[in-house]
Amino acid sequence: MSIIDLTSMGEPQKDIKNQINNRLKKLQDEVSEFCYQCAKCTSGCEAHKLLELEPHKIVALLKRGLIDEMLNSDVIWTCMSCFKCRERCPQKVAPVEILFALKNIAVASGKPIPGKYSAMLQSILSNGLIQDVQTISDRNNQAIKRDKLNLPDLSKPVDTNKFQLVLSKLAIEKI
Amino acid sequence: MKKYVFYPGCVMPTEQYAYELSIREIMPILDIELIDVKDFSCCGEPMKSVNQLMTIYLSARNISIAEKEGYDIFVPCPMCHLSLSECQNILENNHEINKKINEMLSSENLCYNKPINIVNTVDLIHDIVGLDKIKKLVKNPLNKLKAATHYGCHLIRPSEIGRPVDSENPQKMENIIKAIGAEPHDYSEKLDCCGAMINTNLPESALTKTGQKLVAVQNYGFDVFVDVCPWCHRMFDSKQKKAGETVAAKLDMPVVYLTQLLGLSFGIDRNKLGLNLNLSPVDKIKFGGK
Repeated sequence: MSIIDLTSMGEPQKDIKNQINNRLKKLQDEVSEFCYQCAKCTSGCEAHKLLELEPHKIVALLKRGLIDEMLNSDVIWTCMSCFKCRERCPQKVAPVEILFALKNIAVASGKPIPGKYSAMLQSILSNGLIQDVQTISDRNNQAIKRDKLNLPDLSKPVDTNKFQLVLSKLAIEKI
Repeated sequence: MKKYVFYPGCVMPTEQYAYELSIREIMPILDIELIDVKDFSCCGEPMKSVNQLMTIYLSARNISIAEKEGYDIFVPCPMCHLSLSECQNILENNHEINKKINEMLSSENLCYNKPINIVNTVDLIHDIVGLDKIKKLVKNPLNKLKAATHYGCHLIRPSEIGRPVDSENPQKMENIIKAIGAEPHDYSEKLDCCGAMINTNLPESALTKTGQKLVAVQNYGFDVFVDVCPWCHRMFDSKQKKAGETVAAKLDMPVVYLTQLLGLSFGIDRNKLGLNLNLSPVDKIKFGGK
């Protein structure tokens, strides 16, 4: 199964759509209602100055049901997940978690996944880790490999078939 | 000797070898025995933007594997530490997800039963080993070395699920650094993010975050920048040159893992601590003042 099959649905699927709607409804009802737009989240946001992410506006858009606009915007992918907004929100709204949910929904509804996420997912599916052992350079530009450093073998899934089976199921289920 | 299952994660054992080398070097000296276990996988946190259920599943399978060994788990990477802690929190409080995850775990012959203690480098050294013991082990006090600390966002927040250090005024690394004779100082940008999480899709912006923090630290006149996160270290040390180019600044800041700094004060050979692998100018670090 290729990464495209796993992350984008070829045809609209009712089940997935229902799940997405349920999750959105939950977010809207349970979370965004508590927000009173104090913008404490945005004042501390690590991505605000640099990438113009405004977490309080994300919550406002969610409240107004402007979901598609957010799913189609790159702005949801600018969060650095520093968790300052979740830590500091006086109403425990956690915009960072709303952003994670929106990104999950964007992926589940077949929107393109930016950057190296697909490569990392592919690597997890094949060997359990986001990347395989890398050859690195030391300060004198000498190539260094893990097996030359007297370190034990890498810990990774032993029964790769079983591991891949569960993970593939999860990747398809998505929500 | 206290025993812990050693959970290495992805970034440290596949790339950030200096962290692993220095951990394996100092832990026996601190009377901590690390147990290596097969079968671990990614903690799942890097996939949280793509598929959160996968994140919870991956964390749960790692906790289950450690649980089978019967010891608590030592997780040196703050991101893995958060992922495992949050997963445990969800499994303890959400019966529905617990049931679903355990059904999936059973197909890998695994099972999540009960929570275990999840410790990171900072609380292991500060709370479990203790500062008195650290003081006694120092052979080369790092006198007058001005140190800036960087905890990493995932280690300090969100406090609602329990983090090893305070979320707004973390001081445990400072206390450890004081114990080995160096001088930690707080600075305005201490809690700023390294940007690593958007290195995946917005590398230029990530490097800008890294560069901005390092410029500030350098301008304050710090001698060394100390971290405990393989993701942050990859930005501040491995990519320091690129970060400098991105913010148009000449960066020349020694960046070390806390475990490397401790090892130096214990008199351990530099290469055994992986100091040859740091790409920042760590040879500038002097003992006993400048």
